[in-house]
Amino acid sequence: MSTAGKVSYVGLVKNGIFGENPIFRLAISLCPSVAVTNTLKGGLLMGVAVFFVQTLSNVSISLLRNFIHPRIRLPAFIFIIAMWVTVINLLLEAYAYSVYQQVGLYLELIVAFAIILARAELFASKNKVIPSFFDGVGMGIGFLFALLAVSFFRELLGSGSLFGYQIVNAKPVLLFVLPAGGFFVMGLLMGFFNWIDMKFFGGQGASGAAH
Amino acid sequence: MKDLIKITLNLAILFVVAGSILALVYAHSEPQIVRVVKMEKEKALKSLIPDASVINSAGAYEPIEGRTSHYYVARDRNGKTIGYIASSWSKGYSSFIHLFVAADPSMRIKAIKVLHEEETPGLGDDIGKQYFQDRFKGKTLDELVVVKAPDPTKILAVTGATISSKACTRGVRTGLEFLIKTYGPQSVAGGHNKDSLTEGSQKHK
Repeated sequence: MSTAGKVSYVGLVKNGIFGENPIFRLAISLCPSVAVTNTLKGGLLMGVAVFFVQTLSNVSISLLRNFIHPRIRLPAFIFIIAMWVTVINLLLEAYAYSVYQQVGLYLELIVAFAIILARAELFASKNKVIPSFFDGVGMGIGFLFALLAVSFFRELLGSGSLFGYQIVNAKPVLLFVLPAGGFFVMGLLMGFFNWIDMKFFGGQGASGAAH
Repeated sequence: MKDLIKITLNLAILFVVAGSILALVYAHSEPQIVRVVKMEKEKALKSLIPDASVINSAGAYEPIEGRTSHYYVARDRNGKTIGYIASSWSKGYSSFIHLFVAADPSMRIKAIKVLHEEETPGLGDDIGKQYFQDRFKGKTLDELVVVKAPDPTKILAVTGATISSKACTRGVRTGLEFLIKTYGPQSVAGGHNKDSLTEGSQKHK
């Protein structure tokens, strides 16, 4: 039982990173992702923030899943998510002001992230606390990983730098810093992940495997 | 009917619990936030005129409608005025830009510091970076003109963000104009030779 349980927890985390990667497979929360991924730093900070909110919301919603009335579950979920975002916001502003100055702008947007509400509705409200925790961790890491991958290419091609350090001295392609370039990079990476899935794992690609 | 009561109770309990958690966190972090923000501001003022020993608030003005800005006088150990700082606002591409302008007594810019902006990440928000702010050092009011090709007597725009660069420069201009209006145009017209510089500082001895 315990070994079987362990495997499925690893599976849940893996599912968030590959099988149902929020950006590359589920293709949700793309809009804020495009907004923050023109620098690697922006992608990293946002990814970490989403990781915490996702995990905390999943755990608290799972804990309350039998208490929340089904007919008001969505407002209740949003309320819980908003509470965690506010808590993180206040704590960052008080105890890590320099970080807050970097992410403060994006942090409040997390309340409206589709991925967090989607996991609350699809997973946390139907599963026990521990699996929900691992689902949150997996989705959080998957989101972070996707943002890092996209912002890596966008900053390298669009600014010629990584984490603000100049790497390439040639004139960069400005397009990649702009939202349009973000969609190009995201689309190409999405295709790349589909290709890997089909080539090596016998999958059908994200569109065929959608549920 | 039973559902209605259940739902109401449900929401009420949820809100009370979450509200209490928020209140608790707020009560703990708010004094710290006030402290940190004040410290940050003092640090920003000090970084603009590092050799000042006291920087006193001298009053407030309104650089653009509805935004209040403070201005400060910096003095060294002997009480001699060595510079002025004005905070200023300007409307940028996607946000209001809030900044500090520091000028020496001859009204030449010592340094500027962008305190807050929400311009396009990766493009316009470069106005908050040191390399752009350094372009204002030593400039006079007449030299606050944004150009796209390098010119040492003008302000070179951030690549791909001319609107944000212009907005930032406009904010600096407003602040400097206010300082000149308030503390006298010691060297606005000429301002290039050393004489006017010493003249300016003598006046404030």
